[in-house]
Amino acid sequence: MKQTVQFKLNGESIQIEVEPHLSLLQVIREKLELTGTKEGCGMGECGACTVLVDGKAINSCLFPILEVEGKSVTTIEGLIEADGTLHPLQRSFVENGAVQCGFCTPGMVLSAKALLDQHPKPTEKQIRLAISGNLCRCTGYIQIIRAIQAASEQ
Amino acid sequence: MTEFINVGKRIPKSDAQEKVTGKAIYIQDLKIPGMLWGKILYSHHPHARILNIDTSEAEKLPGVKAVLTGYNIPTIKFGFYKDNTPLKSNKVCSYRDEVAAVAAIDPDIAEEAINLIKVEYELLPPVFDPEEAMKEGAPLIHEDHLGGKEKKPTNILNIPWKLVAGDVEEGRKNSDYVAENRFKVTWVTHCCMGTSGCIAQFDPRDNLTIYSNTQIPSLAQRDFTEALSAMGLQGKKVRLIKATIGGAFGSKLDTYPYEYIAILLAHRTRKPVKIIFSREEEFFATSPRQAAIIDIAQGCKKDGTLTFRDVRMVLDNGAYTSWGATTPSVMMMPISSLYKVPHVRYVAKCVYTNNTYSQAFRGYGNPQATFAIESQIDSLAEMAGIDPLDFRLRNANTPGEVTPQRFKVGTCGLRECIDAVAQRLDWRQNRGKRDGRGVGMASLIHVGGGARVYKSDGCGTIIKVDDFGTVNVITGATDMGQGADTVIAQIVAEELGVRIQDVVVTHTDTDICPWDVGAHASRTTFVAGNSAKMAAKKVKEQLLEVASRSLGEVPENLEIRDRMVFSKIDPEKKSPLGKVLRAAHYTTGGKMVMAEYFYDPPNENLDKEFKGNLSVTYAYGTHGVEVEVDKTTGQVNILKYIAAHDVGRAVNPMLLEGQVYGGAAMGIGYALMEQLVLNNGKVINPDFRDYKILTASDIPTIEAITIETDDPFGPFGAKGIGEPGLVPTAPAIANAIYDAIGVRIKDLPITPEKILAALKGKDSK
Amino acid sequence: MKKFDYLKPQSLEEVLSLLNQFGTKAKLIGGGTDAIVMQRQNKISPDLFISLRGIPGLDHIEGNGLLKIGAMVTHRAIEQSPLIRERFPLLSEASGLLGSVQIRNVATLGGNLCTASPSAETAPPLLVYEAEVHLISQKGERRIPLESFFLGPGETALEQKEVLKEILLQPPPPNSRGAYLKLGRRKAMDLAVVNVAVLLTLNPKTGICERARIALGAVAPTPIRVREAENIIEGNQLNDELIRKAGEMAKHTCSPISDIRASSEYRREMVGVLVEKAIRQSLT
Repeated sequence: MKQTVQFKLNGESIQIEVEPHLSLLQVIREKLELTGTKEGCGMGECGACTVLVDGKAINSCLFPILEVEGKSVTTIEGLIEADGTLHPLQRSFVENGAVQCGFCTPGMVLSAKALLDQHPKPTEKQIRLAISGNLCRCTGYIQIIRAIQAASEQ
Repeated sequence: MTEFINVGKRIPKSDAQEKVTGKAIYIQDLKIPGMLWGKILYSHHPHARILNIDTSEAEKLPGVKAVLTGYNIPTIKFGFYKDNTPLKSNKVCSYRDEVAAVAAIDPDIAEEAINLIKVEYELLPPVFDPEEAMKEGAPLIHEDHLGGKEKKPTNILNIPWKLVAGDVEEGRKNSDYVAENRFKVTWVTHCCMGTSGCIAQFDPRDNLTIYSNTQIPSLAQRDFTEALSAMGLQGKKVRLIKATIGGAFGSKLDTYPYEYIAILLAHRTRKPVKIIFSREEEFFATSPRQAAIIDIAQGCKKDGTLTFRDVRMVLDNGAYTSWGATTPSVMMMPISSLYKVPHVRYVAKCVYTNNTYSQAFRGYGNPQATFAIESQIDSLAEMAGIDPLDFRLRNANTPGEVTPQRFKVGTCGLRECIDAVAQRLDWRQNRGKRDGRGVGMASLIHVGGGARVYKSDGCGTIIKVDDFGTVNVITGATDMGQGADTVIAQIVAEELGVRIQDVVVTHTDTDICPWDVGAHASRTTFVAGNSAKMAAKKVKEQLLEVASRSLGEVPENLEIRDRMVFSKIDPEKKSPLGKVLRAAHYTTGGKMVMAEYFYDPPNENLDKEFKGNLSVTYAYGTHGVEVEVDKTTGQVNILKYIAAHDVGRAVNPMLLEGQVYGGAAMGIGYALMEQLVLNNGKVINPDFRDYKILTASDIPTIEAITIETDDPFGPFGAKGIGEPGLVPTAPAIANAIYDAIGVRIKDLPITPEKILAALKGKDSK
Repeated sequence: MKKFDYLKPQSLEEVLSLLNQFGTKAKLIGGGTDAIVMQRQNKISPDLFISLRGIPGLDHIEGNGLLKIGAMVTHRAIEQSPLIRERFPLLSEASGLLGSVQIRNVATLGGNLCTASPSAETAPPLLVYEAEVHLISQKGERRIPLESFFLGPGETALEQKEVLKEILLQPPPPNSRGAYLKLGRRKAMDLAVVNVAVLLTLNPKTGICERARIALGAVAPTPIRVREAENIIEGNQLNDELIRKAGEMAKHTCSPISDIRASSEYRREMVGVLVEKAIRQSLT
């Protein structure tokens, strides 16, 4: 039994018919074809599916789609500016070697964004804590932490 | 050393922008119109005879397009030992055995269909301990597998890993001190953030296109071509296209049953079929690093000079054979050649069990062997009353040395690495206090200039240059996140005199890209880099030849820099590169500027005695760590981590450091917390909740120190660095723990429980 | 993936009537970080989830004396609430250690308690604060101590048609200090191998420990209070010997199991270590 859900996705209002058992992740990846958000585990343990709901980082794989009703969702696709300019965090990830295989990157960038929106000048410890829910197997996190630091200093 | 314009620079990874914006397309993201979804039914038992498979209910389910079992598919054998099949008939030998597969119009229906398949089993006695499996009368995993002199059924594989150099008994006699220990290492798995998957598709002429995330495109193409032959499709073509790879680390160095299953389903249904692993499947149905029991003895003289090294290993092969069974070929390297040791013996047995089967994993046996060797070096140094730092310096490899395995050591910065670590750890000051804080170090040797494990260790490159000066580099190499794409672009830009932005590297399609043996053995920068450099050199010659005509200057006097061709003696004679190229194309009898090069390094296959110069050059490194151990809980806190590596030359220091950090992070996990736990053959922690990899809060600050030895064979002096970062991590940590609290843990991972138990044992003594 | 319906009632009354209507086919869902995972793992398979997210009045943190925390308050909100940090710091600390930021932004206190995991992060602090839970059903409302709410792993005193509405915390007596310690394998994103909360009330003049509350997680079928250990130190001037004895007693009172995260022996051992440590930390 499909239901209608309305929410803001990357600034645009959308209305979509969904099956109620779907997760936000399934809807944005499969129905809306925004594949920048990744599924790494489907159990809320890796953070690859991180998106922002009303500015807060959440695991979209565990987020029931009907709960986004009336909320504002930001995915990685929503960070880049209309003219193609990268968000300062994205630029910093590129420049600091924070990207290897890249599968964790969209989620990582969004967790970092949620942090910087709340704490524009975080300590290293705050950065580490903010991205502890985002597993990365390539980088050992060092250059990711550096990239977030660098972005916060701009 | 010479300064370069592109080489040696911290240039961002070529596809980083795609990745930070979510635009990179991984196998998960790829869809083909009309595509079906495949799912696999796995065994419910570790060892059982299949009596019956009833697929009738599954077949009836609307949306199901095909149901396959081992009984309705052609026989396809694959794997290093050709003992694996896509779907099992007759019997299952492990929990990960594939019993049936379904293709359906969506993943939910496929899943539902899988649950409707009924399999009747007759249970067989299983064996999970490789030492038990070696015994006479143990349950046989493959009844038709014969071995030994009498050709009797056995679980011991017919791979006689044995390296003997010198006379270890003689060495033992001449030793003043001998240490003998048993070490154990367990299964750990790659945990690629992107799970495995593929899409298989046939064209109307039965040619296969497979979208994959393999790290061995050319060898996978060969495997799949063989599979087509087995399916009665002789002479049909295989095209392999790589999506962006969400991590590999060796996990994608072999072909897997699921890929053959996707091919079979696609052929049966005449539709594209996609299989994507769930995280749970990724944990239990891909192949981990091998578990092993390591018995090791080493001896030394009073002054610390090593006298011999004698190692025996039993490796748990699991139920089938992939590259895990060949890791002893790499274990031989540190056993024979880490430090100068005159007498060496190594014997390894790989044994079938009903456990999961193993694969390549970053380091390929080296981390396991180095854990035993380097842990014991500290014990031996202690017996001899010598500071482990001095002990290592005394025995360190040096340039020009030929090791017992006949490795020819060229450039070697091992001493510099050891010194750098000692200095950064303030070693003399901090060692030996036993006050809960301690320092430890361990070193490594690894292949740094390719590794001739096949007849060829080659990689092809094609370079073409278009009308506008864009340089298309078409390489056999594979980028799986490590930065091969970027490093190759830097090397070509440097050689050719163009800007890095002018170079486009293509590495994703076997219909286009030349042959390469694969992204393994830390060989890509060295082998693919040399290949690209040589191809660029040929292209440059052509470019200068063309330019010489229009500029009226002999090619020897011409140079290219920053998109401009100019005369070195007459600065007036110059022309933009694009103009030169257009002139070449728009001329009667015109010429296309394009070149290829196949670089196969001058290294040697190991001979029948497993000796020979496997790699053109060797990579060295030393990791040093300071830890704090909580004696009440057994918890280890890493206070300082130094990773010094002889890298030849850092083509891209930023990406290189990324390899070191990432390697060390994996190594710390290997040392302290990672373990794929098998309970009677079943993986009981197939999730990130209980298979713990480090989080950003756990990673210590790692200081990467680069020792540049400018290797004469490397592209611009570079050696490989992909694997070394995790090789010495576990023993460095184990040694630091010993220095802190005086207990030595000889089986990985070093859990707080083991530390506490060892501390209690020590107190009761 | 098994399908389910998902209802978003607008009032508690509506929730209760839906529970009545659907019985065991329905399951309440808070943040869903446990419920959805259990559903995916086939540990539960409701036809219907009834969401509490839209219910007004379940997400408050308020009260001057008695503090009321709505069942739908997220761990992130608790972690960041100055009120809780000041008055119930152990709860604040424990909430900040649960899962990741992403989980804490969604996972609710009520959900954490209703999942009733033996290692529930917030349970030991709430037990030492002697929290009560306010339950409501069509039959009426009741308040019971949290301690009697937990019945076993995944089992609570919540009746099938009952809803956990809020968590109530009485302010501890003046001069109370405590500590929350969690032992995990990682520094973040980890389930507790053992977690311990201690709350001591010390007479500022005599230094005598007038009241002691000690609670343990992950070492019994439910989070537990260890009164036997509390009794050892209550009414006494604390010294090394007594602290050691309290630790020993806690160690012998709990009943840990062996699982993939730790052996029962290690857990038991760690109870002693952490209880001692937590008592000492409470004194400083």
